[in-house]
Amino acid sequence: MQAPIFHFNEQREELVRAVVERVLAEARDPIYLLNDAAYHEIRRLESTGGRERDELPIWRKLARTLGSIDDPGARKLLRDVIEVHARDVAGKFDRRVYMFANRVLPASLSIFLSPQVLVQNDPLYLLRGGPLADRVHTGGPIDRIRKLAQLGTVVYVPTHLSNLDSPVFAYALESTRLPPVTYGAGKNLFSNPILSFFMRNLGAYRVDRRLRHEVYKHVLKAYSCILIERGFHSLFFPGGTRSRSGGVERKLKLGLAGTGLEAFVRTSRAGRPRKVFFVPATINYMLTLEAETLVDDHLKEAGKARYIIEDDESTRFGRINAFVRKLFQMEESCVVRFCDPVDPFGNKVEDDGRSYDARGREVDPRTYVEPVLGRDEVVMDAGRDVQYTRELADVVMRAYLRDTVAMPTHVVATAAFARLRAKFPNADLFALVRRKDEIAIPYVEITAAIEETQRRLGELEAKGEIVLSPAVRGATGAELLKDAERAFDGYHSSPVLRTRDGGVALLDPRVLLYYQNRLAAHGVAWGGGLSR
Amino acid sequence: MSAAKTNGSGDSGASKATEKTEKTAKAEKISVSVVGGGAWGRALALASANAGNDVLLYTRRSGVAEDGVRVTASLADVAAHAHLILLTVPSPVVAEMARELGEHLDGRHAIVHGVRGLVPSARGDDGDLGTIASVLRAETPVRRLGALGGPALTEELHAGAPSVLVVASRYPEVIAATQRALANSAVRVYSTDDLLGLEWASALTGLLAVAVGFAKGSGAGAGLVSAFMTRGIHECARIAAAAGAEERTFLGLAGFGDLFASIGEEARPEIRLGEALARGEDLDATLATLGQRVEAVELAPLVSAFAERRRVKAPIVTTIASGILARKPADDLIRALMVEPVGGGA
Repeated sequence: MQAPIFHFNEQREELVRAVVERVLAEARDPIYLLNDAAYHEIRRLESTGGRERDELPIWRKLARTLGSIDDPGARKLLRDVIEVHARDVAGKFDRRVYMFANRVLPASLSIFLSPQVLVQNDPLYLLRGGPLADRVHTGGPIDRIRKLAQLGTVVYVPTHLSNLDSPVFAYALESTRLPPVTYGAGKNLFSNPILSFFMRNLGAYRVDRRLRHEVYKHVLKAYSCILIERGFHSLFFPGGTRSRSGGVERKLKLGLAGTGLEAFVRTSRAGRPRKVFFVPATINYMLTLEAETLVDDHLKEAGKARYIIEDDESTRFGRINAFVRKLFQMEESCVVRFCDPVDPFGNKVEDDGRSYDARGREVDPRTYVEPVLGRDEVVMDAGRDVQYTRELADVVMRAYLRDTVAMPTHVVATAAFARLRAKFPNADLFALVRRKDEIAIPYVEITAAIEETQRRLGELEAKGEIVLSPAVRGATGAELLKDAERAFDGYHSSPVLRTRDGGVALLDPRVLLYYQNRLAAHGVAWGGGLSR
Repeated sequence: MSAAKTNGSGDSGASKATEKTEKTAKAEKISVSVVGGGAWGRALALASANAGNDVLLYTRRSGVAEDGVRVTASLADVAAHAHLILLTVPSPVVAEMARELGEHLDGRHAIVHGVRGLVPSARGDDGDLGTIASVLRAETPVRRLGALGGPALTEELHAGAPSVLVVASRYPEVIAATQRALANSAVRVYSTDDLLGLEWASALTGLLAVAVGFAKGSGAGAGLVSAFMTRGIHECARIAAAAGAEERTFLGLAGFGDLFASIGEEARPEIRLGEALARGEDLDATLATLGQRVEAVELAPLVSAFAERRRVKAPIVTTIASGILARKPADDLIRALMVEPVGGGA
């Protein structure tokens, strides 16, 4: 059986039509919606430049019309506005590009970016995907997820650190023979010359986070919901945006992922229930491509941090190239770990697609959307579903913690940062990150601290509260230090750690902070640098 | 449901007749199950029956009878009778009861508990405190959970005197169902979506009631008792906020309301315990005389430790935990509280 995404293009027109019909049918006050859209769009366009400004007169005219329009007239206008946005959102899926991009993803990036690599390496060897198998590792209940993908729609909700997450995740799916997904990618990524190549062709639809009006939100929700109802496996980053601190997400708004529940309710109500399985996942990197930009943004004064970053490392050829080289040099440099699948109510799901409560008793998901009082029927209840979604977010967050994979860079950064704090016990976060190259920790001391961190992580792993990467498990402090140094070396714009004169100099505490934050929610690393 | 037997005043013919008139008068009669045959459970069952509902009470005790309430000893009956279940068992048996009940429930059920108390978190080693709702979440497939609190007194509710309850749930549907289950001409049911806050407030006002009893028993004047209560509520609100509750919940019926009710209620075990301790009586002996569990005894040290871990200043709770219950002299404790540094907030 082929995943529905392969037939996406045939369905695209019909899909747009379905979105338009649903949003229009559920619009209670078309004049209000049009006013809201016009108000937000005029405000936004007035402050932007470029070609987009050409739309300004259209919205102004629309706003003027609204004063003297009747309901049928408003509905007609609304239909046009909805359709424009639905078309803007709808993505395109190219099967050939999907196959190609996933087999060769990091390799093609290198080839694409750096002619030397093409000369030095045998491109056919790279294309075979052989060396990549060692680079992006996958783990978790993959067989179960593969079975569930046949029984219902799988909604993946992974952690989010980097703009490379979606291509890497797509690669992980392909390499484990899991069906491909559709996903909403920030429209700003489509203007990124490197990423847009993948975005456009991996089944991504476009989410324009600058658009704040309700019609657009309804369109996005309807679009995502209808995809799930029709069996398109989907990917959402429920953190909303890349983790700035480097920490595992502690607050999640499932946002669009919540449409997974809505799809289940709608299809159950219509008498053709579509099972929906949520699969949290962690994407773990030895190095994060955009670590420096992200942590700088995190450290900026509260409120000034940017929600959308358009000029980070993922837009620079050189940095991506350096990143990809690192990926090739290191074992286990990227691990995608799938967590246990759950139903929209947070119940565990077994291979047969059935749900089981925390005590292992089977429970029918349909019963959750029947009313406590009243007849035996599935009902829509927005207030109820908001809460189900909130509780699901908690389940996802706990899964993130359990399936976080601790890498050598995280362990070493944790130990190094703890030594830094010990040297400056009264310094706050900002004072600490300014201590560039001020201390060198004796070699014996740092390796002992690394081993202590590793031991604590081992205890957590034994309790099922974290996962150690093979490179961390059983390694000595010296080996871990060497791994981390090798990873950091030459990648970040300024050096992070350096061994000299029998000690390890901490050259860039802000990058150390970023990597140690990955273990902060587990109580292993310092938590003071997570939120400000 | 066949195992359920009719108890109470009427024979089956008469109750059928009543049912009929109820049906014509009020179309929205609903089915409610109440689990727990203690005084509180019986009072709630009766209030619900008085609201015109079809009520089934689960109890293992014999001889429990309330007007218009059927009684059963089968949890399967409880689940089959209604999707709304009011749970009123003592906190130490909640987990076991929930696990057993969970065998019969599915996602359609809602459980609203009226249990005062907090439990050490499931992880056990992190010093965190879990709520009763978190136990129900872990032991049953039910998601739609709620809790009852507020100033209603068991005896008054049972006697049909005007009473005020608060129901808390994150699910609007659960609030509406509970209001339909309990509200009648003598019972008003207010609501909040701060489930965590109400659960913490119910538990911590029990703690404060011990302190209030202690202060009264030590001969403290009305002014000092009032200061105790006010500072106590604020302190407890801060502690609960550290657990994620909303402070304002403590300032309403579930906090202040509940605590005010306790001073009027001489029979309340927490008050009697506090008074006895102030007289210098032995803790265990007093508990034996009371013949009742007092949640506060186990809860006080847990809450005090929780506050310390979360770095919340908690002089009153700490005094209860390591002073009152440790039977230090009353005068010393009050003196110690009086020399606490005075903060800005009054």
